[in-house]
Amino acid sequence: MRAVKTVILEFWNEVDRRLWAIGLLLSLSGVALIYSSTHMSPNPLEQDLYLKQLFWIALGLVAFWVVYALPFRFFEAFAYLFYIVAILALIGVFFLGSTRLGATRWYDLGFLNLQPSELAKIATVFALARFLAYSSKYETNIPKRLLPALFLALLPMLLILRQPDLGTSLVFFAIFLAMLFWSSIPAIYLFFIISPALSLLAALHWISWGLFFLLLLAVLYLVRPGGFFSTATVTVNLLAGMIMPLVWNRLHDYQKLRILIFLDPNRDPRGAGYQIIQSKIAVGSGGLLGKGYMGGTQTKLAFLPEQHTDFIFSVVGEEFGFLGVLVLIALFGYLIHRGIDYAQKARNSFASFTALGITAVLVFQVLVNIGMTIGLMPVTGLPLPLVSYGGTSMITSWIMLGVLAGIGRRRYEY
Amino acid sequence: MNEFSRRNKNAILLAVLALLAGALVIRLFFLQIVFHPYYRRMADVNRLRLIPIPAPRGAIYDRHGRKIVANRPAYSVSILPYEVRDLELTIQKLAPLIGLTEAELDAAIKRERTSRYEPIKVKKDVDFATVAQLEELNEDLPGVIYQAEQARDYPPNNWGSHLVGYISEISEQELLQLASKGYRQGGYIGKRGIEKQYDQLLRGSDGVLYLEVTAQGKVLGEVPDKPPLHPISGSDMVIAIDMDVQAAAESALANFCCAGAVALDPANGEILAFVSKPVYNTAGLSVGITYEEWNRIVEDPNHPLLNRVIQSQYPPGSTAKLLTAGAALEDGLVKPQTHMPTPCRGGYQFGTRFFRCWKPEGHGSLNLIGAIEQSCDVYFYQLGQKLGINKWAEYGKKCGFGKRTGIDLPDEARGLVPNTDWYDRRLGKGKWSQGVMLNLSIGQGEYLTTPLQLANFYAALGNGGVLWKPHLLKKVQDQTGVQEYRPEIVERLPFSQETLEILRKSMVEVVHGQRGTAHRSQVEGIKVAGKTGTAENPHGEPHAWFACFAPAENPVIAIAVLVENAGHGSDIAAPVAQQMLQAYLLKRKPTGPLVSPADSATFEYSD
Repeated sequence: MRAVKTVILEFWNEVDRRLWAIGLLLSLSGVALIYSSTHMSPNPLEQDLYLKQLFWIALGLVAFWVVYALPFRFFEAFAYLFYIVAILALIGVFFLGSTRLGATRWYDLGFLNLQPSELAKIATVFALARFLAYSSKYETNIPKRLLPALFLALLPMLLILRQPDLGTSLVFFAIFLAMLFWSSIPAIYLFFIISPALSLLAALHWISWGLFFLLLLAVLYLVRPGGFFSTATVTVNLLAGMIMPLVWNRLHDYQKLRILIFLDPNRDPRGAGYQIIQSKIAVGSGGLLGKGYMGGTQTKLAFLPEQHTDFIFSVVGEEFGFLGVLVLIALFGYLIHRGIDYAQKARNSFASFTALGITAVLVFQVLVNIGMTIGLMPVTGLPLPLVSYGGTSMITSWIMLGVLAGIGRRRYEY
Repeated sequence: MNEFSRRNKNAILLAVLALLAGALVIRLFFLQIVFHPYYRRMADVNRLRLIPIPAPRGAIYDRHGRKIVANRPAYSVSILPYEVRDLELTIQKLAPLIGLTEAELDAAIKRERTSRYEPIKVKKDVDFATVAQLEELNEDLPGVIYQAEQARDYPPNNWGSHLVGYISEISEQELLQLASKGYRQGGYIGKRGIEKQYDQLLRGSDGVLYLEVTAQGKVLGEVPDKPPLHPISGSDMVIAIDMDVQAAAESALANFCCAGAVALDPANGEILAFVSKPVYNTAGLSVGITYEEWNRIVEDPNHPLLNRVIQSQYPPGSTAKLLTAGAALEDGLVKPQTHMPTPCRGGYQFGTRFFRCWKPEGHGSLNLIGAIEQSCDVYFYQLGQKLGINKWAEYGKKCGFGKRTGIDLPDEARGLVPNTDWYDRRLGKGKWSQGVMLNLSIGQGEYLTTPLQLANFYAALGNGGVLWKPHLLKKVQDQTGVQEYRPEIVERLPFSQETLEILRKSMVEVVHGQRGTAHRSQVEGIKVAGKTGTAENPHGEPHAWFACFAPAENPVIAIAVLVENAGHGSDIAAPVAQQMLQAYLLKRKPTGPLVSPADSATFEYSD
């Protein structure tokens, strides 16, 4: 008994308490926001969501402490196994998952709709961290280190894109870019990685595409990454440029619409543009100090659908105003800063990469989620970590915090 | 990987993050601080439903403060879809109560329905008894509600319909033009008469009740941060009408289909009575009528919507002989005692045409006064010839003919005083006979006036030559006080006092002289100056005219009466004026309707 007590005390004394407390603060404010936005809902099931969210937080906290207690060597050892399980889960969801609103993303577990793509984020971070941490030790050929890493990121990305879930799949791209940047692979390779995407954009006009292609060739000539890599890059870029119109046509109608609506929400103010317009009204009408908790008219009168999940930031904006959102952004800023700090300080390479990958997930989701509620980004359906309603997202967020805290505690270990 | 490169990368990452966070914060600053007022308004547009609180419309009183138009409480019945349990049963029970068939009620519900939280107005203006019944059935008819409103209370029997006009729901076209002036969809607007002319004055300004609604349209109730805006009542109006004179005219004309009668105060142009027949259903039009009913009104061959006092244009007949005589006197062509070269033998030969006098046996040789008294056409044919068409037209224009009087009612007609230019334009240069002047000089042919123009001319003949702008408005009363209308002079008749005196004398002869044609307008103890007229009508029986002022020496009232297709002025129109004069001068109650033309066969015809 005393031993257990000692261990718990040790945990408590050594944990990054500020990180933990801010995570909890964000989670609990999420509960308050969910209550504010659903207590007047005509659907009684929705009225109880804040209670369910409390339950998810409890589960999340358990996960946090479990993950925190495990040494990162454990994750390092099982990184690829986790990854394989996650990929299998992503494949399985096509056969066993439940379909809602045209997307197959969830396993219906009765009490929880498990979203494997959330867990795949962590698994991919581990796998990439392990690969990047080890490959630098025995492989000097840069393309040979780069391409497997690319494969590790692309596989879950493409699977999730098939669900379809563009927002989540882009998270993997962000993870990949950030971790690549953190590795010893020269930063110019980032340019090669994103060059096909730039090609897609440049291909909107043949002149811009031509210029971009010349630039790409010049950079390749200067960097000389090797014949195979160069050929592959040029080929992919050529293909990207040529299939631009095809890609557009391959997009789902709602995806096209989202992009068009992002460019001009008033294109369909009662339909697809409705969310962006109402969200901007909610945030903008909050003003400096907001309308007060439970005082948001956009919120309580249900002008904004999904306000307890993806659009929860607009509730903050409406009820707590500019000052409220600044506080929220500052809290996330603290978590992110903490993540980068640990990534820098961790002596273990795997831990460092992991911390950075997790931070990338946080950064991307926070930026894209807030960006979409205020019309800076297209609507992609990403939750705001810790705050939005959602079981898988909550547990995943707390696992990530647990991993970060664990790395923070063991940062001097090699 | 060494510490140094990590530190560098760390710095780059932080810089990029700071940039991205900065972009978010700047965007939020613009949304929440810079454009906050706009989004605040948009949020209010979302959450608030504006329920108009209609302002009580101003009342209209006569010159003695007697009520002509006021408001009365009325009720409208609506259905709240989300509270109705069984729509079919509701329709079945409600329809007979509010006087609709089930099919009509069903159609009304389908037509007006917008959302399940929006009340559907199915019947306007039901009486209190119906409301009491609805109240009793409250339990059985959930979702059926009634609302107290105010309806316009117009005079009984539709009298004064052309004078007061009516209000009705604003049309889309009117809304487009007037949206900036506080008009709103579903609001009312004056469509005709005073209600239209003084709509801005009478309507006041509507209040607003702010109700909070959910995105689905469910009403949550009033909100503390948006207190209701109270309506401002419309101003009350006192108009110059004397209801006794108006009633006398209405009653005298009761048996005639189509007529117009107007009385003015020669001292200032105030309109004392204003009757146009046939009347239309003011009360019905203001509540809203069906398409079929509207069609019936529009297609009625008697054109009930036409305001005969200011919109109908008729040749003035012999009432215009005063214009010809006045012009000739003023021009020095005749003296009161002047005889014309050709005596009246029942007509006058002009070129190849023979122009008849109304009296086939002829008047013999008359002087000017006699010719007016007996209305001899032959005398005026010759006088008109002497005067010439353009000189006559010039005098006519200055006497207020051929242009609008400027009365404060909408859509007044101009009338017409033709001159040679007009005939040249109309018929081609030189393609018309000088004989037209013969017709014009006795008030026939292309010369057209409205009853109001004629009344105003006679008022000026009586008051020493001043043409006032005829007006109905006397006073406007609202919370801020009383504003009096100031009468305006439009013009002076081109006649000297001497000329006016001669004309007055001859008009007195018309009424009181032995051979005068207007004995039927005599009033006990009062000298009346007047003139009868008969407007030839190519489509049927002639129209009867009578115009007068009284007392002759110092007139307080001038009248013009026109009765369509009624025959001769002396028989039909003069007695109407007589009733009005008696009501005004002797305060005598009307004696009841005059006989209609069908019963007038025993009357002797004279003009």
